[in-house]
Amino acid sequence: MDTNNNSEHGCYTEHGVSGYGVAAKLSRNELMTESFIKAMAEHMMRSIAEKCMEMGARCIGHIKSHLKTEAGTIKADTIGTTHGSYSSGTLTQPVKDVYIAINSIVQGIPEEAVKAATLEGMHEVADQRGLSVLKEKEHTYFDEFDFVASKQDYIKQLEEQLTDSEKPDSNRRK
Amino acid sequence: MKITQIAGFLGCGKTTLLLKLSRDLAGDGERKVALVVNEIGEIPVDGKVMEESGMQVKDIGGGCICCEVAATFAKTIYRLYKDFKPDHVLVEPTGVAVPHQVKLAARMGGRDAKISLGPAIVLFDATRPAELLDMDMLGQLVTTQIKDADIIAISKIDAVEDEAVKEATQRVGEYNAKAAIVNLSSFSGHGIDALVSEIIEWKE
Repeated sequence: MDTNNNSEHGCYTEHGVSGYGVAAKLSRNELMTESFIKAMAEHMMRSIAEKCMEMGARCIGHIKSHLKTEAGTIKADTIGTTHGSYSSGTLTQPVKDVYIAINSIVQGIPEEAVKAATLEGMHEVADQRGLSVLKEKEHTYFDEFDFVASKQDYIKQLEEQLTDSEKPDSNRRK
Repeated sequence: MKITQIAGFLGCGKTTLLLKLSRDLAGDGERKVALVVNEIGEIPVDGKVMEESGMQVKDIGGGCICCEVAATFAKTIYRLYKDFKPDHVLVEPTGVAVPHQVKLAARMGGRDAKISLGPAIVLFDATRPAELLDMDMLGQLVTTQIKDADIIAISKIDAVEDEAVKEATQRVGEYNAKAAIVNLSSFSGHGIDALVSEIIEWKE
């Protein structure tokens, strides 16, 4: 990912649009099926969108996620609280660990508020569904892995990219 | 190397279209296609999804290619030309990018490369026309995107009634009477053949 910036603020800031991204490892003691993960991810997207609106957002641009597992990838997203949330993808077997990346792009509230809503939504839904957030890292992505690597190497690559991660400064509402 | 952008506001279906369009444009190995994906929010989720589809994808994160990271975009175009030599590059800018600025940035990359520009295809979400057009700050951005379009694709027509499609078509037509308008459903595939033909036949 190239991050060379040529100016301090992008065009989107003129339109009141803010974005925030976070990656995390979520785990559960019991195995999670494809339908369990899809329902959880959709719930998470809706929860983040609702929290953004509660914080004063005027429009949800797009809240999307990518959930990698050793058994396949699931995508989930929403474009607003009145539009529902959707998921796609398949898993070949139930899993205990999920590597999730969430990107929230919202209009009408500052980045700090988008961050707070995203983290709060992710943690709340994970807690409600019995998942632990083991590692999380903001403004990053699992951007260096080989899609044809063996299952062990693939997981190792994901783990390495979350290593030395610091939990984002929690701006979640108390 | 022809550069075509698939623009439009956040959540209008750009990524879903790009995945289908790139496969159809590539045909049965008839054309070499590369994708350039740009996202704000620091995490290029869409690029990863596309990579898994087996396409040659360049992710540009950390800002918008129409302004903040325009130089990076230009370099990416040049590198693609030099290293991969695709027939077509499909560019998905951020949902808040301004199409004419993306064209300018692409031209920067074309200084040392033989490129031509394809149409600026702007998607307009038929499920939320009022939400997009009638809001103060957003409305201005969305209308700018529509005005810059060479082709307007009314997206998600499978999710609304025919009347809503007509209304969306009428509303975008008020801002840009010159652009061709295509009805699009990336799920059913409606409109994708028309867009592939437009891209192939488009002359600057």
